[in-house]
Amino acid sequence: MDPVLVKLALAGVATLGCIGLFFGIGLAMAAQKFHVEPDPKVEEVLHTLAGAQ
Amino acid sequence: MKRLRQYAWLVGLLLVSVLLVGCETGHKFVKKTAFKDTDKMVLVFAGPVDESWASNVGNFSAYEEPDPDIVLTIKETILSPDKTQVTLIFADPVNTGEAHIVSATNILSEGRDLGAAVLTVKKLYIGVLMTIFIGAALINNFVFTKYLGLCVFFGTSQKRGTAVGMGVVFTIVMVFAAVMAWGLYQFVLKPYQLTFLNVVVFIGLVSLSVQGVDTILRKVNPMLFKAFGVYLVLVIANCIAIAVPLILADNEYSGWESFALALGAGLGFLIALFLMACVRERLELAQVPPSFRGLPIAFVTAGLFALAFLGFSGLSIY
Repeated sequence: MDPVLVKLALAGVATLGCIGLFFGIGLAMAAQKFHVEPDPKVEEVLHTLAGAQ
Repeated sequence: MKRLRQYAWLVGLLLVSVLLVGCETGHKFVKKTAFKDTDKMVLVFAGPVDESWASNVGNFSAYEEPDPDIVLTIKETILSPDKTQVTLIFADPVNTGEAHIVSATNILSEGRDLGAAVLTVKKLYIGVLMTIFIGAALINNFVFTKYLGLCVFFGTSQKRGTAVGMGVVFTIVMVFAAVMAWGLYQFVLKPYQLTFLNVVVFIGLVSLSVQGVDTILRKVNPMLFKAFGVYLVLVIANCIAIAVPLILADNEYSGWESFALALGAGLGFLIALFLMACVRERLELAQVPPSFRGLPIAFVTAGLFALAFLGFSGLSIY
């Protein structure tokens, strides 16, 4: 294999990994910061209903 | 209301700044440069210039910014009666989409030498943005001339309410994703020579922006979130969402141009959805042959719309 290509491939894996990690952490932090408590009543009501529609 | 006014101010300020950026010419004695028709350029000076200087074609030379080695031939120069405006007439039509550099030898004004000038002549930047915007929204409407995003288009165009909801959500997400795609392409992918990974990165980016808008909107504005409902998730399944980043990468668009493209694409999709929904609501009541009922007649209608949109193909405003 051409060492230039190997280098390019490794750089690609590393860069994409970094991008993924960066945005993944960003999303996780956003999810934590903007966390919304799900209302348990909604689930209960949905469960009680027939659910045909 | 107060909030709204603040936003309006901000948008106004941005527009003005874009306009100002488009106005710089390169020499303090030159007030304005512009294209005229297809083969002329107009240079407006702050004061009268000498006729002997202005009428000599040899005093000016011009080339397209990317190709400095191809010098354009200037056929004639015309000085306006008040001597503040020189019109350069070229032998061949000028590519007005590209910025041009005009060099002039020492400008003579009432006997005084004001130094040589290297001027940029280009379309006003706002005009370029408008061209991209209108191009994406009408002339190259993604649904009717490029046949993209058809699955979501037919899926959500049964009622006017859903159509508008889908269109608005799509526009918002598209603008977010396109601006991010521009940044990532220009500052990460290109410097590291990873442009062959465009598709992978842009797909991830679109799903990321959908997820981000979903997460943030759920907390910040639950009413709006409820109104958007299922459409937010549907944006991922829309091919336009991946086409826009690829196009802006292919054409090397700048940040503002990417923004205009995304806004145009979103608005074009909204228009297409709304028109289609209006027709399909009426089709419910029309007497359609049984074998054409439902999706087939919708496809026929979309084809007719595509024909109608061909009428926009000659449209140019700037």
